[in-house]
Amino acid sequence: MTARRNRIAPLAWQIGMTGALLAIWQWAALTHPAPYLPVLQNIVAGYLRLWHGDLLQSAIVPSMVRLAIGFLIAVAAGCVAGLVLGYLRALDPWVRPVLEYLRFIPAVAILPAALLLFGPTDTMRIFVIAFGSVFPVLLAAIDGARRVDAVLLDVARVNGLSLMERLFRVVLPAALPLIFAGVRIALSIALVMMVISELIAADDGLGFYILRNQRLFQTANVYAGVLTIGTIGLALTLALLAIERSVLSWHRGWRGLSGTGSVI
Amino acid sequence: MSESILIMDGVTKAYVPTAPILKDVSFRQEPGEFLAVVGPSGCGKTTMLRCIASLMQPDQGAVLHHGQHFDNPPPWLSIVFQDYNRSLFPWLSVRRNVAFGLRHVGKEERDARVQGALKAVNLEHAADLYPWQLSGGMQQRCALARSIVVQPKLLLLDEPFASVDAQTRIDLQDMVMDICRKMSLSTLLVTHDIDEAVFMADKVVVLSTRPARVVEEIGVDLPRPRDQLTTKETPDFLHLRHRVYTLVRQQAQKGTSA
Repeated sequence: MTARRNRIAPLAWQIGMTGALLAIWQWAALTHPAPYLPVLQNIVAGYLRLWHGDLLQSAIVPSMVRLAIGFLIAVAAGCVAGLVLGYLRALDPWVRPVLEYLRFIPAVAILPAALLLFGPTDTMRIFVIAFGSVFPVLLAAIDGARRVDAVLLDVARVNGLSLMERLFRVVLPAALPLIFAGVRIALSIALVMMVISELIAADDGLGFYILRNQRLFQTANVYAGVLTIGTIGLALTLALLAIERSVLSWHRGWRGLSGTGSVI
Repeated sequence: MSESILIMDGVTKAYVPTAPILKDVSFRQEPGEFLAVVGPSGCGKTTMLRCIASLMQPDQGAVLHHGQHFDNPPPWLSIVFQDYNRSLFPWLSVRRNVAFGLRHVGKEERDARVQGALKAVNLEHAADLYPWQLSGGMQQRCALARSIVVQPKLLLLDEPFASVDAQTRIDLQDMVMDICRKMSLSTLLVTHDIDEAVFMADKVVVLSTRPARVVEEIGVDLPRPRDQLTTKETPDFLHLRHRVYTLVRQQAQKGTSA
């Protein structure tokens, strides 16, 4: 009974809180009409318009395609490079200084240069998304590969595994818990870079949609676009957590029992 | 004399040149022989084992398997490590841990061999559990199954019973002796437990304190099969145990007085 009440109370609080804030917004919009304060039904209508028909095709779909390609390139490149660099420590002094320098450059700062290099193209946007989100994955993979237990690597050598087999059958699974932590951070950065890259010289995508409606003073649509990006971010994070939960089911049990798990 | 499965010929190893770990270690192991290596704790047994397995190369001398030098572990060699909770892959079930060394074997044969190995260590009922769901003894049996499933000719055991309780240790000793006899394995057991060495081995190699060298080789001609109670009560066993114990204690005392 108390356990149930413990769940219900915060939920009721959250719903009540949200409802109250929305009510205040609506009251303010009705009593003090202003361009930056559209009534709720206009925002909802704009939100719903985004999810089907022409706007789905010209705003959400292009954004999602860029995000997917850029993010997947970042994850794949970050994993492969990170595992190799983490496992083959001899490479470290050759690569580390450059990496440590590059990781502190905000991806936003390279946007103008990327625009000069690739033009106002999808390639430019995908590049910026991938550049921004590769570092958390890369650094997590390096760290994860370094922490692989030496005994497991001995077992792999005694069983005659080649270097590639050792990387993919021992180092990768052992590093996965850390890699997933990096991928979660990478996802949020990828989302940021997706929007920003569409604010410059774009003619479709969610970032462009928000910017254009702001210029047309269609404020309700601006908020609708922002809410849509929030929805996409939430959905992708939940999907990532579901994948992580099934891939790393062993890790939770192992960590819970041995008490020697990693710090995530 | 290349029929010896393992020849250690003057093996010397030092991580720091001024403090060698192994100094001129020499002995040989014949096929089918159960060899135990004992020595005072910290004398370099694990370093020696890594040299034997070709996971590490000696600075001087040679490790020869069937008269040949190897840069990497030879395919017929397998190891059971001391730390079972570090040597099993936590992301693989018991069955897939055991199958780890059989990736080039067809599925049907692989399944049959894994099943056989699990049966040999009495772990069939736990095949689909993960290592961290098992007790220490069961984890070490899983590691043992993984080592014998590849049908090795030489089995290295690195203090495999050191981290389990006394009753489990006795059960594991009997199980290992039984398996090695049935598979006619050559087995090299590294241990600090003198009773265990004399009870299980055909020959006991006593190492000195660091830097380790061979002090003496003692043949153990106790009849097999051996029994935990009756064998350990025979005068021969007690006499051998006394001899090995005296040698090891002398070494340990030299180590502390030095």
